[in-house]
Amino acid sequence: MRVCLDEGAMSDRMCPMEEEELIERSKQGDLDCFNLLVERYQRQVYNLCLRMLDNTHDAEDVTQCAFISAFKGIGRFKGGNFRAWLFRIAANGCRDQLRLLRRRPTSSLDALPLDLELEDRRAPSPEEYAINQELGEHIRHALAGLPADQRLAVILRDIMGLDYEEIAQSTASSLGTVKSRISRGRARLREHLRQYVELFP
Amino acid sequence: MWNFFPRDFVCIYREMFKRKRECKKLKGMLSPYIDGQLSPSEVKGVERHIEECDACRRELESLRAVVGLLHRVPMVAPRRSFTIAARAPIRRPVALRALRVATAVAVLMLVFVFAGDALHLFEEGRVEDRSTPQEYTATSTPMDGEGLDTELKAFEGGYAWPVRYVELALMGVVVVLGGTTVSLWQRTRERERAVKG
Repeated sequence: MRVCLDEGAMSDRMCPMEEEELIERSKQGDLDCFNLLVERYQRQVYNLCLRMLDNTHDAEDVTQCAFISAFKGIGRFKGGNFRAWLFRIAANGCRDQLRLLRRRPTSSLDALPLDLELEDRRAPSPEEYAINQELGEHIRHALAGLPADQRLAVILRDIMGLDYEEIAQSTASSLGTVKSRISRGRARLREHLRQYVELFP
Repeated sequence: MWNFFPRDFVCIYREMFKRKRECKKLKGMLSPYIDGQLSPSEVKGVERHIEECDACRRELESLRAVVGLLHRVPMVAPRRSFTIAARAPIRRPVALRALRVATAVAVLMLVFVFAGDALHLFEEGRVEDRSTPQEYTATSTPMDGEGLDTELKAFEGGYAWPVRYVELALMGVVVVLGGTTVSLWQRTRERERAVKG
């Protein structure tokens, strides 16, 4: 393990250590092992925070704090889905940040434009590109308009691609609650998007 | 009474209410249906209903469109790494806490001495109560140390114990302790910021 780290090989490809082993070593205070876990999950945790907070600066702060909290509290992780556990810490951080922003609203310039992925691989025409960007902005606003619980459930399901069971673990709620939140969140998004675009029949 | 309402009319209304109830129930099942979260019997029920109900079919199509759009939201690469930098264990907070308590105690003592001095609480032990300057001139010469003692006591404001020296010493202690506490606190904050990245 040490040799692996000394060589600077921090990725899964070069240092194929099992997740359980990394977690166990992290519990014993091995920061290098925990950093391997950070590298494995940082993209997903960051994207969850980014879509929840709609602000790159806040998303970076909350992501960093989530990993620090995770390292400090990894002794309390009793096994199971590590990704869901990380998402739960990040989601709690996002909720706290949203509460703080509600108390002290700021007009941030750090909102990242949401460029939707294109359906086909050919280069888009300028018109398609503009429509795509506009649609991305509407989705961003529609997501920001959802209540935090529904937004979290929809992001975890439709953007992060988690299954219902994992979402229930990440949000510490029952399967029924998850179903209901996703259903209501999607319905609200549809109503919001209907105001802007003639997408629907 | 039933004679006033044709039987067909009642049946149509009953059918309408039944359909409306079914639609309401189905709306909550469309999202799990898209995600494959329904049991086979529920799936059959949904499919049977949307074959007959245009409104619910449109509802399902629009929900699918929303889900399709959300699937196109890209995963963004973070601008920096969130790995945690290794640091020596931070022992400053313990020292900082002790220093803060010590500073607070010193400040309280200083305030007490100042207040006592201002309110003349220490005047009971005044030197002139026990010995007057006239006695000095009558019994001793200025060169035998008594004159120096008198000057010293004059600086002390005539108190039996050195209140002014105590005040000066306490002020020094407060300045040193306060300065150390502030500098340690700033260093700890910088360190914490660096850990957070």
